[in-house]
Amino acid sequence: MKKINIWAWIVLLIGMVYFFLPLISTLEFSMKMIKDRYTFEAFRVAFTDRAFFEHFGYSVLWALLTIFFSTLLVVPTAYWVHWKLPKARPYVEFVTLMPFVVPAVVLTFGLIRLYGRPPILLIGSPILLIAGYIVLSLPYMFRAVDTGLRSIDVRTLTEAALSLGAGWGTILTKVIFPNLRVAILSGVFLTFAIVMGEFTFASLLAWPAFGPYMEEIGSMRAYTPQALSLVSFLLTWASIGLLQWIGRGRVQEQVAGAH
Amino acid sequence: MTFLEINNVSKKFGATEAVSDFNLKIEKGELVSFLGPSGCGKTTTLRMVAGFEMPTGGRIVMDGRDITEMPPNQRDVGMVFQSYALFPNMTVAGNIGFGLKVMKKSPDETQKRVEEMLGLINMPEYAQRYPYQLSGGQQQRVALARALALRPDVLLLDEPLSALDAKIRVSLRAEIRAIQRKLGITAIYVTHDQEEALSLSDRVVVMNAGKMEQVGTPFEIYNFPQTAFVASFVGTLNSTEAEVVDPAKGIISVGGIQFTSAEDLKNRKQGEKVRMSIRPERLSFASEQKKDNVVDCTIENITFLGSVVRIQVKIGSVKFNMDTFNNPFLELPKIGDKDQVTCSKEAVLVLDS
Repeated sequence: MKKINIWAWIVLLIGMVYFFLPLISTLEFSMKMIKDRYTFEAFRVAFTDRAFFEHFGYSVLWALLTIFFSTLLVVPTAYWVHWKLPKARPYVEFVTLMPFVVPAVVLTFGLIRLYGRPPILLIGSPILLIAGYIVLSLPYMFRAVDTGLRSIDVRTLTEAALSLGAGWGTILTKVIFPNLRVAILSGVFLTFAIVMGEFTFASLLAWPAFGPYMEEIGSMRAYTPQALSLVSFLLTWASIGLLQWIGRGRVQEQVAGAH
Repeated sequence: MTFLEINNVSKKFGATEAVSDFNLKIEKGELVSFLGPSGCGKTTTLRMVAGFEMPTGGRIVMDGRDITEMPPNQRDVGMVFQSYALFPNMTVAGNIGFGLKVMKKSPDETQKRVEEMLGLINMPEYAQRYPYQLSGGQQQRVALARALALRPDVLLLDEPLSALDAKIRVSLRAEIRAIQRKLGITAIYVTHDQEEALSLSDRVVVMNAGKMEQVGTPFEIYNFPQTAFVASFVGTLNSTEAEVVDPAKGIISVGGIQFTSAEDLKNRKQGEKVRMSIRPERLSFASEQKKDNVVDCTIENITFLGSVVRIQVKIGSVKFNMDTFNNPFLELPKIGDKDQVTCSKEAVLVLDS
């Protein structure tokens, strides 16, 4: 019989307590809105607030626009780097890591300073917000796509398609995109989760979003923000869960393909 | 009639010359193999014909059209890759029909051609399978069908059998040759496997260090190698340093032991250093039949290779391999026995040192 490693279980238990205890406490606190009773009143209040849906809706819209443009920007770039400029890969990777190095506040002020006056005046347009979100999601989107591209033989598949008469549009849409489906979806879910909880860009660029809404509610109410925090967590978990589920399907597919 | 001309083509990668001054004319319906070791420029040359690499110099002309600078997707050239390169997201039928859809053929015509191609590769029941559900050999047959579906002017095959096991390689190469003959398609086949090149090709181009060493039929390449490289690369060869003794009579000496060659040595000087080469199967024991050259030897080693028995003999101070066909009644000598070996003067090749 396989020996059970007690220390492994202890470490796992400590990790789970560290992770779940604050969440359980948040849930417990959010359920104490009505004195001496555990209820979901805070959630009811949150979900019946029209502003919640309005701000949540805006965040979903920003997330979808970010995902669309980010995919359009990152996939062809990463593909081209793999296909024609493999030596440029470390430099592109370095650029995509910028949001990890430069704080969001600095990035936002940089954007405001650069695009807040002529010749390119973008303040007041959501383009700046979406552009900022694209930069913010770059490390996740690029890495996800880059990993996907490494798992397929980009060069040979492209050459095979070229030898069959295909142009670049056909190659990207019929050969590259479908084979990067899982990788792109990984980037999409991560981008969605990031944009849905983002505060700095939306707040400083003065656009309605879920992050600033939570902050505003937090300064006025005690219990509802806790409920909203949990909603935000659930959203992120759902995204990661979907990502895991799709990724698992891919592994099974590859195993089946191993003859 | 010349269908494909590769004229003075060269390719440089930085300071490295991968291919230099490559010249070849290929007839319609001919299958030509590029044979050589890794890095000899054979794949680079093929990729220039495909349009994936731009020549540094020279021109490529196909059916009278200069295609040197034409993009690969406009060349009417089908390509089969070593790694199959099937599109993982498409079924077998999807893969074969891909090029036809790109060319905007009608759905009926596409389906008809896909079925025809599936029949050609004997895989009609595999249309709805995905590449990961096929073996390596099946994937390569699908890749071949995909390349042929567009009825290209030229078919290029880049080491298509290298990733397959030995048995499948042999059966698939026969299948490739049969299909190529049936369709009468002009083909270039890149390989580092001499057996593959010799068994498949109408002509073989032996390449080394970016240059063409020799072009000829498999028979010519094997029996009449023109350079020391071709002689050593194609087939097994006994090769040793020798010295010209009598150019007029074709006599050379290996450590004092004389051999007569049928080659014309009149342009060589007495005492000139050369390389003498003899194929192992051209040597035999003198007790069976005496030929032009008869020399004393000592049996050094005997190796059983199935259909062939390889006997290593020492002639003077040089070791030679001698191949003899195996048969149940073969009387093999013992190691250390003294004997005599013989070969015809045509078997003695004299190459530059």
